[in-house]
Amino acid sequence: MSSGIRLFYMAVWRTWLTLARYKVNFVSELVTSALTGVGMLLFALAFDAEMLQRTIGTTNAASFMIMGIAYQSWQGVALWSAADMFHSELGSGQIDYTFTCPFSRYVYIVTNIAAMALRSTLFFVPLFCVGLWFTRSTVTLGGLALGLIATVLSVGALAQMGACFASLVLRFQQVSAVFGLFNFAFQFLTGMFIPLQLLPAILRWVGIIVLPMSFGMDLLRHYVMGTRTVLTVPAEWLILVGQFLGYALLANLAVRALERSAREQGLHYL
Amino acid sequence: MDTQFAVQTQSLRKIYPGRGHGHTAVEALKGVDLAVRPGEVFGLLGPNGAGKTTLVRILATLLRGTAGHAWVGGYDVAKNEQDVQRIIGYAGQDSERSAYFRLTVRENLLYFAHALRGVPIRTAHERIDAFAAAVGFTDQLDQHFTALSGGQKQLVIVLRALLHQPRVVFLDEPSKSLDPVTADRVRGFLVEYARQHAVTILLTTHNMEEAEEICDHIGFINGGLLQFVGTPREFRHSVTVQETVEVTLPDPEPFLSQFRELSGVSHVSTDGTVRLYCQDGFAVLDEVVTMLKQAGVKASVSMVEPSLDDAFSILVNSGQEVVRE
Repeated sequence: MSSGIRLFYMAVWRTWLTLARYKVNFVSELVTSALTGVGMLLFALAFDAEMLQRTIGTTNAASFMIMGIAYQSWQGVALWSAADMFHSELGSGQIDYTFTCPFSRYVYIVTNIAAMALRSTLFFVPLFCVGLWFTRSTVTLGGLALGLIATVLSVGALAQMGACFASLVLRFQQVSAVFGLFNFAFQFLTGMFIPLQLLPAILRWVGIIVLPMSFGMDLLRHYVMGTRTVLTVPAEWLILVGQFLGYALLANLAVRALERSAREQGLHYL
Repeated sequence: MDTQFAVQTQSLRKIYPGRGHGHTAVEALKGVDLAVRPGEVFGLLGPNGAGKTTLVRILATLLRGTAGHAWVGGYDVAKNEQDVQRIIGYAGQDSERSAYFRLTVRENLLYFAHALRGVPIRTAHERIDAFAAAVGFTDQLDQHFTALSGGQKQLVIVLRALLHQPRVVFLDEPSKSLDPVTADRVRGFLVEYARQHAVTILLTTHNMEEAEEICDHIGFINGGLLQFVGTPREFRHSVTVQETVEVTLPDPEPFLSQFRELSGVSHVSTDGTVRLYCQDGFAVLDEVVTMLKQAGVKASVSMVEPSLDDAFSILVNSGQEVVRE
């Protein structure tokens, strides 16, 4: 069995054990997720449905808001999961042990992020289901499948970003302000709460090119709610695949640079 | 490279580059030549900052040497990193917190053995049970890691280093936070394990008793230089060709400078009891007794067999290169 698959399912096992062991917390998180979906319905009441119709061709503000906020579950995958893991491994000294084991650091980071992404899915699902309820007239099985494939691709690209951020943590230790910048970008430049089409052109292009959530979300809404996309559908798929590959390359280089630096200075000096 | 050695270094140097303004480079290893035979327990001794951890980290592929060569199991640590990683086990210094606090001991060991080392799950369970039984830890296997004492956590980390049956194991101060009983049990287990499985163990320690008890050979490193390699017995005798006079005084402080000035005394150490290292113990003993008599102080004065601690103390303070096997 390849070490990547083994690392992944054992990371899932480890995460699940911790999650299931603290049941009250686990159930509360699930309930909070569903309640957030319901809460977003109230926000949707204040939304200008006509503006939404003009911009993306739907008046379904409720699903628009809920799918946006559901996507926020993945934000942590990119920003915090691997970074937190490495911060904790650095603090406890576990990283020394990890780095003496015979597998690619890049694979180790990405599989751990993937396990965290799977965990996030648990909290994405209740929220997403609330949003899906209001798309009964537009959703098809095929559309749902395509929307979810776009989501998986988008999360895959976010995981690669996560590997870059994890390398940043190991290299610079205190990077919360850098994460804050990206946190802002994820919330306001990806179309999470307002359609990308309403952003000033320069910000819209930053959101489209830099943040792989933008087209994942845009395609999901398109397939499930029948919205108009920012670019043509094939162009969005192409850019999404490009983002996945681009960030995978970047993550590989970042982890390699980190490894080189670690061997020169020692992980304890990083 | 000589294939008869499990671990070997040749003129190994490590310079940590200075980071940032005003930080100068530090030369942690200044050309270390080391050879450890397969199946032996080798202890690396030396004061803090001597270069022990740097040497172990290079051998465990965590650091890259600046110059020279290092091989583990015949593999070059710089060129065949993954081959080295496949055959080594490692437990770092101060790593007793380096596991998942919310998992049990068994879950932690299973995760590390299977996920990170590829040990089949059933085999991992069998080894966990066997190891735990050998060190009297079976009752703690289902406890959360967070509920263990510092020493118990350290024990888990040492066991983790062995679960995949490595050929060479690096343990950086493995018994540092263990209580004497557990430390004794772990030492016994390590020696037996090394003998049974022909495993080479290279450990660093400050604990002279530990070095004497379990190491076939020891190396003394100081200031980035390996100053001695030999058996614990050779270490003790090579350094302490001198004789040792021990003086037990309620307040030794006023006498220390006088002791140092006595003819024939090369070094004085004190940790409650004062030890005078000299070539002629009888002559010094005589002078000490006379000095104390004149001062009207009653004290216990005797000639004692030099210990490994004495050897350590003399080497650290003199910085001399004593013996190479």
